[in-house]
Amino acid sequence: MPKLSLMFDNKIVKEVSVGTRPVTIGRSPDNDLPVDNLAVSNHHAKVYYEAGRMVVEDLASLNGTFVNDLRVERATLHDGDNIHIGKHKIKVDASGDAPVPWDSGRRPTAPRIDETMVLDTKERRQMLQQAAAMGESMQFAGTRMKVPTLVVLNGHTDQKEYVLTNRLTVIGKSAMATVRLKGWFKPQMAAQINQRDDGFYLGPGDKVPRINGNPISGPVRLNDGDLVEVSGVRLNFIFRE
Amino acid sequence: MRIASGGVTDVGRVRANNEDCYKIVEPLNLFVLSDGMGGEAHGEIASAMAVETVVQHCLDLEANPAAQVIGPTQPNWSARTKRLSTAVHLANRKIFKSAEENPDQHGMGATLTAVWIDGAKLSIAHVGDSRAYLLRGGSLLQLTRDHSLVAEQVRRGILTAAEAEESDMQSVLLRALGAQAEIEVDAEEHTLFPRDALLLCSDGLTRVVTEPEIAGTLQAETNPGRAAEKLAALANERGGPDNITVVIARAEKDSNGWFSWLRRGARKNPDSNGNVGGN
Repeated sequence: MPKLSLMFDNKIVKEVSVGTRPVTIGRSPDNDLPVDNLAVSNHHAKVYYEAGRMVVEDLASLNGTFVNDLRVERATLHDGDNIHIGKHKIKVDASGDAPVPWDSGRRPTAPRIDETMVLDTKERRQMLQQAAAMGESMQFAGTRMKVPTLVVLNGHTDQKEYVLTNRLTVIGKSAMATVRLKGWFKPQMAAQINQRDDGFYLGPGDKVPRINGNPISGPVRLNDGDLVEVSGVRLNFIFRE
Repeated sequence: MRIASGGVTDVGRVRANNEDCYKIVEPLNLFVLSDGMGGEAHGEIASAMAVETVVQHCLDLEANPAAQVIGPTQPNWSARTKRLSTAVHLANRKIFKSAEENPDQHGMGATLTAVWIDGAKLSIAHVGDSRAYLLRGGSLLQLTRDHSLVAEQVRRGILTAAEAEESDMQSVLLRALGAQAEIEVDAEEHTLFPRDALLLCSDGLTRVVTEPEIAGTLQAETNPGRAAEKLAALANERGGPDNITVVIARAEKDSNGWFSWLRRGARKNPDSNGNVGGN
């Protein structure tokens, strides 16, 4: 197994092997490799495996971590490299078999899965949490708490306001339409709104609707505040608190 | 409303066996599709069991209308929607029980997407990542949401739809028949309009064929069986990485509208649906 040897005056003071867990180096006795010297910070650096390579990372130490006399914040280590911390030298022996890679947790990439599989409740909670932790864009979470609503600005409809609860919302004269248009010569199904994973899409029916004045040819995702015009009716799409 | 339908299932170009299964029950306008999973031949067992159970329970509606309803329902649902949703719960129990009793079937499961059309009312029940779409007014509307990890991440705003399509995790399902003793079934009712085209498909189609291509094929080829074959052929052209199943049903208006007598003269073989009108 690969190992680190703490040297002082060309003599081995201590040896630790680098396994699946990171090796911490510092003055504090709780380190895997304690270095008793005032020039060494309490938690100075750590060495670990990432994607099959041994890496040293400086933990914002006062006097720095050096690999082969170059100051580094983070560097890949090779067999025979020397890490200098304070007055001490740490020899890198990377000749053994690399351990099962320890992932820093920064990028939890899962193995490729070709066969369909089902997660049980516990696994799925874990995976979603892990996914949420890596996803920086949780700003949509707030949007999801809000209620998608169509507010009627002009035109004859059976209600003044419609909350979009179904996967499919039909705008038209049909008795089965969610947004029922009133009046002669109104189409049965003028337009429709489809709830998809990433939002609400307005699509044409018997008429070509307009979003903010622009006619649409195919499904277009609605944004908060969009103005929808179809068959003489003007609707405001909003996410209500 | 008259319904014309057709379907096709194809092993694809990579897999050795076809774990997909579908059934069209024309007299009932019932369409059921399932994609099985599990080692050996167990995916095939699971999907066949799923389709058979759902079809049997729906066929039984006339003979045994008072059968127990399983799972949550909406008060305004029709008897058919309740029946269909219950049938999916039953299929889950059956697969789960079979896998428990036969250790070699451990891990087998199936998706299920079923649509039952009654006049202008469309009932849908669904678990897994096989999809149902409606082509209406030139737009393809998705009636189902995938119960997959990546789709859930899109709904939570963690991934974009485009990132989800590139993900290595597309095969990870959050819900499937047979995985747990009891499951949640997505069920809904929609209104069917004349000229609507319904499409059910397994992920072997949607992984390699885009939605605009599906919409284009449905518009260009109005014969349901031929359109299904064209879509399966397109998926195979793209490598056919998985089993492909496509079921298509089209709603055509009965010609008993106010002005139907105007159109009658133009038709080659006027039907005898009781209309009176001049030539």
